[in-house]
Amino acid sequence: MVTVLVNKNNEEIKLLGHAGFNIKGKDIVCSAISSIVITTVNGILMFDKDNIKYQENDNEFIIKVKKNNEITSNLIANMLNLLKELESDYPNNIKIKEEIR
Amino acid sequence: MNMLRLNIQLFAHHKGQGSTSNGRDSKGRRLGAKASDGETVSAGSILYRQRGTKIFPGTNVRKGSDDTLYTTVTGVVKYETFGKDKTKVSCYPAN
Repeated sequence: MVTVLVNKNNEEIKLLGHAGFNIKGKDIVCSAISSIVITTVNGILMFDKDNIKYQENDNEFIIKVKKNNEITSNLIANMLNLLKELESDYPNNIKIKEEIR
Repeated sequence: MNMLRLNIQLFAHHKGQGSTSNGRDSKGRRLGAKASDGETVSAGSILYRQRGTKIFPGTNVRKGSDDTLYTTVTGVVKYETFGKDKTKVSCYPAN
């Protein structure tokens, strides 16, 4: 299961673990998560390369917002909404945990 | 920061095709009888290979350190039962 940890102001998003829906190459949930996250990160970087920093480790992917402008926050919010939709369809493969505001 | 390459299996298990860490086995040890009942064998011949004492040593037969049974005389092999459900192998000189 992929766990998405979102801090209070959506300024740090951690994605931990594997979707585990199927084996590598056939995991549609993993591919949805990957596509949503990569599209968002690249989209933000297109506007300003210093808006965010990301870190890719073996079992985790971390996004840190450096400049919280309107574009960045909207794209991040959109990413989280899409991941929430995915969570409702595949509750066993993705879980979103937001810090209490 | 650089753009990310589109890896649509970024959050998939790294192992492909459900690999497993099993799949090892040792070679067969070819245990069992090496001389059958009524067969004539020479002294020192191996009669039975085993782990533990499935078959017990009988007359003129001894047990090696790996529980192998071998004859100490030239003769005819005889598998005999003893006790409730035990089997022993003996070797009787042919005269």
